[in-house]
Amino acid sequence: MTTLLELRENLRNFYSKYEIYITPFLKFLLAVICLYAINLNLGYMSRLGNPVIVLVVALMCSFLPFNLIVIVSAMFVLAHLYALSLESAVVALALFLLLFLLYFRFVPKDTLVVLLLPLAFACRIPYLVVFAIGLVGTPVSVISVACGVIVYYLIDFIRTNASAISSLEADNAIGKFRFIIDGMLGNKPMLVMIVAFGITVLIVYLLRRLSVDYAWTIALVAGSVTNIVLLLVGDLMFDTKVSIAPVLFGTVISFLLCKVFQFFVFNVDYTRTEYVQFEDDEYYYYVKAVPKNSVPKQKKTVKKITSVIE
Amino acid sequence: MLNEERIKLMTKTAAYEENEGKKNMAIGSYFRSDYLELHVIQSLLYGTLAFLVVGAMVLYYRFETFLQDIYKMDLLQFGKDILRYYIIFLVVNAVISYIVYSVRYSRAKRSLKRYYNNLKKLSALYEREGKR
Repeated sequence: MTTLLELRENLRNFYSKYEIYITPFLKFLLAVICLYAINLNLGYMSRLGNPVIVLVVALMCSFLPFNLIVIVSAMFVLAHLYALSLESAVVALALFLLLFLLYFRFVPKDTLVVLLLPLAFACRIPYLVVFAIGLVGTPVSVISVACGVIVYYLIDFIRTNASAISSLEADNAIGKFRFIIDGMLGNKPMLVMIVAFGITVLIVYLLRRLSVDYAWTIALVAGSVTNIVLLLVGDLMFDTKVSIAPVLFGTVISFLLCKVFQFFVFNVDYTRTEYVQFEDDEYYYYVKAVPKNSVPKQKKTVKKITSVIE
Repeated sequence: MLNEERIKLMTKTAAYEENEGKKNMAIGSYFRSDYLELHVIQSLLYGTLAFLVVGAMVLYYRFETFLQDIYKMDLLQFGKDILRYYIIFLVVNAVISYIVYSVRYSRAKRSLKRYYNNLKKLSALYEREGKR
């Protein structure tokens, strides 16, 4: 445990020292992973599969705000769908527009969820993002999670039915359009996921705010159980063909990853080093303000060991 | 002479100005009514756009039945129905954005107040030094 704590402290120091380089690098990494995953899953426009394009775009993202990665990924998705069929691109564009116009305009910070959740779905551990949002988010984040699920299922539906969509005749545009919309509206697994994830986020959120010891762990355990139970109940009720093993396995892995994150990310204050400059009548000031490590003092417990010596 | 206390205050305020202060100052430069008005109008525009997107999707989805029925149906009533939906949608949208932005405005004002307090302290420090 001590080595872990030391590692965490070193990590924190490292981050506060090299924050200027680390954040762009992380953005770059995220952009590369996202674009690569999109190309891998929806590679209908082969030109975008070119690694040079991916790298250049990702490099661009590393210097720009986080939300730009989301917009770039959305454009990649749209381009791929356009290469498959115009109708699917139109449906996706309409969905993205609605998400932005009605929701993400209010909570631009949550936009990343729409990117991370489909990515986690692709890795079979969407629960990780759900738990993490419950731990750090607000109750409103339930809507963000729902949006992420919808985006994933739209992409997934089009991907699995790609051959059916392209086999419909080209002049049957309305038919294709209706096929996609019907597929989305009647998508029971999607609805079950939205409800289950929404309730899980709420439960994790409510429990981690309790002022008891181990509130975060309790929240995670309760969230995991709720998640599994809801998905299985949903499967029984609506026959969504959710198989038990991946759900159990994914939840356990997500739980463990969340514990790791909790240790390294959520509990540590990665306050950034500030570089500010100002002046007064006498001096110019170039100040580098490094946040202080505020480690709470450990309580000392005095153990009395007495033995009777005869 | 370098005054340590003053430098601390200056750093704090400068860091605020550079990060979250930027947004809050932009908000604080509005009167409350102007700020809310601007954002509610903006949300009405966005809402209209969203309504058009949904409307176009629904229309396209039901295009065939719509074409069949267009001669039979009461177009005036149809228009009224759409208008009703549109108004309900806009009102809900406007109310939500009113609430969201009024909360945001009061938060920004509170945070700016702290910032101005720091500035006041700073100027008090200067005055004290000047008298010395």
